[in-house]
Amino acid sequence: MLRGSLYGGTIAIGLPLLDAMLPRPGAAQAGAAPKRIVFWFTANGTRQDVWSPPANMDLSGHPMHASLAPFSEKMLFLDGVDQDVTYDSIGDGHQTGMACLLTNAEVLAGTLFCEGACDGASPSYVGWGGGQSVDQYIAREIANDVVTKFRSLELGVQVRSSTIWSRMVYSEPDKPVPPREDPSQNFNDLFGDLDTDPFALELVRKRRRSVLDAVMEDHAAFSRRLGSDDKQTLDRHLQSIRDLETRLDATGVLGESCSEPLVNLPGSNYQQNDQYPATGRAQMDMLVMALACDMTRVASLQWSRSVSNVQHNWVPLRLNEGHHDLSHYDDGNADAQADLLAINRWYSEQFAYMLGLMDAVQEGDNTLLDNSVVVWVNELGKGNSHTRRDIPFMLAGSAGGYFNTGRHIDFGGEPHGKLLVSLTHAMDKPVNSFGVPQYSQGPLPGLT
Amino acid sequence: MEVSRIRSEAPIGVCLALTFAAGCTGVIGAGGGPDGDGGGGTINDQVAAQLCVVDTPIRRLTRFEYNNTVRDLLGDDTNPADVLPPEEEVAGFNNQAGAYTTSDLLVEQYMKVAEGIAERAVQNIAPLLEGCDPGSQGEVFCAAEFIERFGSRAYRRPMTQDDTDRLQGLFDFAMADPDLGTFNDGMQLVIEAMLQSPNFLYRAEYGTGAPVEGDVVPFTSWEMATKLSYMLWNTMPDEALFEAARNGELETPEQIGAQAARMIEDERARDTIRNFHRQWLLLTELENVTKDQNVYPNYNAGLRPLWEQEIETFIEHVILDENGSLDDLLTANYSFMNEELARFYGDDVVGEVSGESFQRVELDPTRRSGVLTSAALMATHANLNQSSPVFRGKFVREQLMCDSLPLPPNDLIIEPPELDPNKTTKEQFEEIGADPACASCHALMNPIGFAFEHYDGIGQWRDQQSGKPIDAVGEVVLTEDLDGTYDGAVELGQALANSPQVQECVASQWFRFAYNRSVTQVDSCSFDQLSDQFAASNFSIRELLVALTQTNAFLYRRMVTAEEGSTP
Repeated sequence: MLRGSLYGGTIAIGLPLLDAMLPRPGAAQAGAAPKRIVFWFTANGTRQDVWSPPANMDLSGHPMHASLAPFSEKMLFLDGVDQDVTYDSIGDGHQTGMACLLTNAEVLAGTLFCEGACDGASPSYVGWGGGQSVDQYIAREIANDVVTKFRSLELGVQVRSSTIWSRMVYSEPDKPVPPREDPSQNFNDLFGDLDTDPFALELVRKRRRSVLDAVMEDHAAFSRRLGSDDKQTLDRHLQSIRDLETRLDATGVLGESCSEPLVNLPGSNYQQNDQYPATGRAQMDMLVMALACDMTRVASLQWSRSVSNVQHNWVPLRLNEGHHDLSHYDDGNADAQADLLAINRWYSEQFAYMLGLMDAVQEGDNTLLDNSVVVWVNELGKGNSHTRRDIPFMLAGSAGGYFNTGRHIDFGGEPHGKLLVSLTHAMDKPVNSFGVPQYSQGPLPGLT
Repeated sequence: MEVSRIRSEAPIGVCLALTFAAGCTGVIGAGGGPDGDGGGGTINDQVAAQLCVVDTPIRRLTRFEYNNTVRDLLGDDTNPADVLPPEEEVAGFNNQAGAYTTSDLLVEQYMKVAEGIAERAVQNIAPLLEGCDPGSQGEVFCAAEFIERFGSRAYRRPMTQDDTDRLQGLFDFAMADPDLGTFNDGMQLVIEAMLQSPNFLYRAEYGTGAPVEGDVVPFTSWEMATKLSYMLWNTMPDEALFEAARNGELETPEQIGAQAARMIEDERARDTIRNFHRQWLLLTELENVTKDQNVYPNYNAGLRPLWEQEIETFIEHVILDENGSLDDLLTANYSFMNEELARFYGDDVVGEVSGESFQRVELDPTRRSGVLTSAALMATHANLNQSSPVFRGKFVREQLMCDSLPLPPNDLIIEPPELDPNKTTKEQFEEIGADPACASCHALMNPIGFAFEHYDGIGQWRDQQSGKPIDAVGEVVLTEDLDGTYDGAVELGQALANSPQVQECVASQWFRFAYNRSVTQVDSCSFDQLSDQFAASNFSIRELLVALTQTNAFLYRRMVTAEEGSTP
């Protein structure tokens, strides 16, 4: 286990100085640092009655967001942004809230998610989400400009099984993208080759290229005999191998702020309820370092899933119950309300932790946080009503000066598709609408 | 007999285009040409529909199957596929063809997993070479021999020239490379490539190319060996299946059925039985169970693995060691426990149990009824601090009766009633259920759950609650054959075991799990045949497994129309 703090300043790993490991010309220098975008998900809605910041944006003393006080000038709190598309879509509140969140597209019909016989259409049966998610759109656009070690990096904290309730990232309609959940495996995947001897590294790449070349030839021969649907399945697989081979050479850019992070890795029990905070922290440590190393420009961190029933015992709670169960009590239940506040306060503290890491990474005159936009999203507004109106959307970082931060804006009922459009603009990959056009006519007004 | 027992009325998916409403004979070679109003498909579509032949999308190994396969292929029992992203869980199972997605992460991990397996494999290369000595017989010779022999096991079919050329090329590359250059380097790369090959990861089925009617074809013996082994064992074929494939002895339903009967006796069938029941009976949810120890002082987290072991041991015993009857599964008054678990069940256990190992115990037949009343199910389908007639009723309705329940209204505030020391759980839920907003749906669940009220939130028997005697009279409504009142779970269990709706539901769950897809309208003759054979065996799940190898849905497919047209 690696112990220590991420940016303690005492990290000393002997690294051979190589041209390939030096910052690229222009990268990590004032004004030229790349923009990054991070989606940060928590579940089951929030306490809408206390979520908003005060008019002067002074968060110190805020019942939920006091820990965000140091960053309030770099943040945007958005009230009155609704997931309108979910009310046109088939599926229950959590399903639509999750599948439409980053896609602004209606859930697909189908019998994939069904109970009982599953042998016919039923109003309660649905398929996967029906659109590409905005992070994947941006990632694929950026991949046309630059090859990074990961086109996008999806991290999860106890997300577990793959269902419509647990997937918000879609590479295309009907195709969900899984997050990386095991911190130890994640550490190896991200940083395993950072301190490898360069000649050994080159050998690994050479071996991998030769094997992948053979596998790709094999795929071509295999696919030739398949019917069209199966061929499509295999074509997707082959494309992923091609992409993997393209990225073999990209290891990340070691600069002043980029080094193998010291992470407290939970062991193989990272899926246990009591390991939730430690797993989340390890994933945040690694996510921020991956951004600092320019291993990717697009990332997400998903805490649990919609209908999360994680027991946040460490908070501590008054009612010893899971998050989803707590979120179902009536607004009049004081204990449940206190617990929901405490849970969301804890998430706010985690958000502040990650923002702190990002803000400590200097990139010229700015920080990594300044050059990024971190978007805190939630599938619901509030748990007991399952409302997808007034989703607690929060932005941190200005995306390199794009957003005019330090403000709280109440949109009074704008569709969230417009927020997704705004994010494409912020990342210099602008679109006029995203997902269902009716609910994404241009960017949200007044954010810049 | 009605034409189809499949209850769905509504059309689904592409299969509907093939639906052929006229008589479905299901007999290959029985003639009965198209009558011209078969829904607009081609003649071949109509023939296939008449024979109940539906193609299944290409299957990919699940993590479980991958682990089992490398165990049998290489002796690698490290469960290396556990690090792969989880399968998509649809239609109740994680092995549904056509539901898989391929992510960059999956492909990256396939590479790394293959590297790890290959590295471990070459550390002890001699057994893989099966006597070939690179020193005396030549490295190139032994590599070629390995590629041919091992490759055909990894790809589960004879190697083609194209296959061997490619792998040989990789071996030669490694040998010629100044940075690599050893025999083991070459072998390692070859194994890595094989484990990332679509021939290993996917199960492609093309059929023989010789139609029996229309474009309906049987499978080759090699394909059939693989179909049988992954369906019944969740792993690759053994040597006996490969031998049968080499000899073309997996062609007739009789040959196939005989292999199936042999395979069910094998230990590997146990893995499959466990895998199915973990998913069908939602046993995977047990790990998320927590209980309020203020309400349940007898509960501790150490009980969960005991509950799990109990129900799995019981299920495997009923299906594999006894005659496998559904009736036993739902109604038996015996189980398997160690001393600690027997103490938990208390007076329900007849006789003494001592020690840590699990042993068969007899249970009070007035109190316990197979899996239905097991602590595993009772505790999973309960709340933190009370039993839940809603969850229990929902479980019975969906998993055992295969009914689908409507979704709650979108903006409904749902919360369980708080503990009221003056009322029984049933009284509280009856009050909620009486609310007209809830009544229409909850009438389908709560009254079934009331039959389980003798079992508290952790599955222990209780005679009274809140100072009042337990009233465990439950009611079932709106079913095909189960409507009525039942006093307690034992009585309900008897009824469930004898209900055609439940029997059919079990068959359809197995159909879905075994064939990796849902039952469609086109499957009617296959499904009817399955149901008939299930009934004829007095609802033996063992026999159902064999029957699954005898349907047209299993025995045939339609010829593949490849886009670029090369033939087998």
